[in-house]
Amino acid sequence: MTMSYKEPAPLRPAPLLIGLASLGLIVRALREILWTTLVFAGLLGGISMLLSVALPRIQERFMRRQFIPPGLQQFRDALFGMDTRGAGVADVAFSLAWSHPIVIALLAAHAIVVCTRVLAGEVERGTADVLLALPVSRARLLISETIAWALSACLLFAGMVLGTWLGVQRLDPALHPSWPKLFTILPNLMLVYFVIGLVALCASMSTDRKVRAVLTAVIITIVSIVINFLYTLDPSLEFTKQIAFLSLLDYYRPLRVMLSGEWPWRDMLILASACVALWIASLVVLRRRDVATT
Amino acid sequence: MLLPASHQAHPAIPPGQDLAIDVRNLTKRYGSRRGITNVNLAIAPGSLYGFLGPNGAGKTTTIRCLLGLLRATSGSARVLGHDCWTQGDKVRTQVGSIPGDLRLWPWLTGMRALKLFGLIRGTSLLTKGKELADELELDLSLPVRKMSRGNRQKLGIILALAHQPRVLILDEPTTALDPLMQDRLRSMLRRAADDGAAVFFSSHTLAEVEALCERVAIVKQGAIVADSTLTLLRADAGYDLDVLWLENHAPKPPAWLPLLATRRPASTEPQGSRWIARFRPTKDHTLADVLALLHHHKEAIADIKLAQPDLETLFRRFYESDADDPRPVMHLNQAHVPSDATQPTATPPSMTP
Repeated sequence: MTMSYKEPAPLRPAPLLIGLASLGLIVRALREILWTTLVFAGLLGGISMLLSVALPRIQERFMRRQFIPPGLQQFRDALFGMDTRGAGVADVAFSLAWSHPIVIALLAAHAIVVCTRVLAGEVERGTADVLLALPVSRARLLISETIAWALSACLLFAGMVLGTWLGVQRLDPALHPSWPKLFTILPNLMLVYFVIGLVALCASMSTDRKVRAVLTAVIITIVSIVINFLYTLDPSLEFTKQIAFLSLLDYYRPLRVMLSGEWPWRDMLILASACVALWIASLVVLRRRDVATT
Repeated sequence: MLLPASHQAHPAIPPGQDLAIDVRNLTKRYGSRRGITNVNLAIAPGSLYGFLGPNGAGKTTTIRCLLGLLRATSGSARVLGHDCWTQGDKVRTQVGSIPGDLRLWPWLTGMRALKLFGLIRGTSLLTKGKELADELELDLSLPVRKMSRGNRQKLGIILALAHQPRVLILDEPTTALDPLMQDRLRSMLRRAADDGAAVFFSSHTLAEVEALCERVAIVKQGAIVADSTLTLLRADAGYDLDVLWLENHAPKPPAWLPLLATRRPASTEPQGSRWIARFRPTKDHTLADVLALLHHHKEAIADIKLAQPDLETLFRRFYESDADDPRPVMHLNQAHVPSDATQPTATPPSMTP
């Protein structure tokens, strides 16, 4: 006996834009994070503009008076990992502008918000059943999400660069930064951003609760940054310098780059390795875990 | 054949028969919590298969294993020959599914959803999607955030059917649909089955399974307690016998007609004056024997009821706890294969009291 089953027309292979990714999933992810990214890019641009206008003037005033409050000096030295006395006004000011706590906080917030959407966010709002019932492998899902995130990061950093450029236009030319040097810092800062995001992604793959993933990422990020400053808060914590390698900021020293003009290859390599390790860990967890919305 | 529920034999699969869904001894545990235990399913293309069970019985767990969302603790689940966990993407390419609690991204409109899902599936869903939307009377320009629950469910149905999948796995798909739309969905599913798709339809409502499906598996506490056609289930249920004897005239019931010990006569009736039995005809004792027995004692009978239980009663028996009702457990060891397909010889259901 023959089956009455009619063979449907075979599906055409999904159009793939970027290797193993799915164009549809990239579009979906971009649609999900577009407004968040635009808001963050706007905020970051605005803050960068303000810092670019204000910090060189403040630094110039300090230099003119030849006085910097000791606490501030110590904070700067810890932030930049070197003695900042003797550095040029623009170098210090723009290094500070691109490593200012508000800037780092905004970058970290964007990375964490975007990267905890999948999977914890999707499970929490109940859309994971639909997302994971799509005809794509979990690896392809993660690759697509990562590409969308990377594209949104480009928009975010474009906002930051644009804000800095707009701020610089209001400065005396003597206070203008060296743009090639700033663009040498940019990939280093982007790698710091990606590490924070990938910590959040890894946490998000391991839990069904977005709040839990966000908290995990926030705590790890804060601890990692605070390690860099502990000894400035209390001299008895001088020993924390020995674990400074655990701090993200140990691999992001913009003033050093501004002064030397050299690419921070070592720091970037370490951060890139951390990115790869965290991404692979996220993939392994995602591929192995059960997904249930209820 | 007497088999405990947890050790069902896998349904006999004829050689060369490609199954749309082939589940063997599938077990899923959530740590120490029960999920499903030794579930076996064999569903051929072109069939409408109901998966019936109360809330928390394990229907959704089974479906999630089939869609590759959950990894089985043991056993295997295959759809169209592909392993549901290791080849989940291949499975999902050929499957249309609706989750039990459908949530869609709020920024989607019907049109955007068709375009997006088409982009992901690599095929245009617009033409078929619009046809289905017309049939279900759904406005595709409406964003999901403004849709009622019923409309969201309609969109889910459209997205599940628009790519004309070979297997449909639907977890309580009629949720939130009005009766008219439920009818239309059933007609869509019948058409899909006529075109060769296997339809796996979970529900906790008997009526909708009865209206659609040719065959049903009943799942209770994570295990399948019956797997049969509705006709066979009815036939297998036997007859409910209720005889009210005149006082002190009740005869001793024969050994082949055991009374249900758990049933009590009404408080207004004297003890022992009533027989309540569930009679299942066998080769040795047919319905005629029961009638002859009753005829023999006709002078002593005050009232008599002899009827096949309706389906609702039958399914309630499966759902009720064993302590309340010593109901039989049925296993029909046969894959469901459409009548025009090569199929194994049907074997009668076996029962364990």
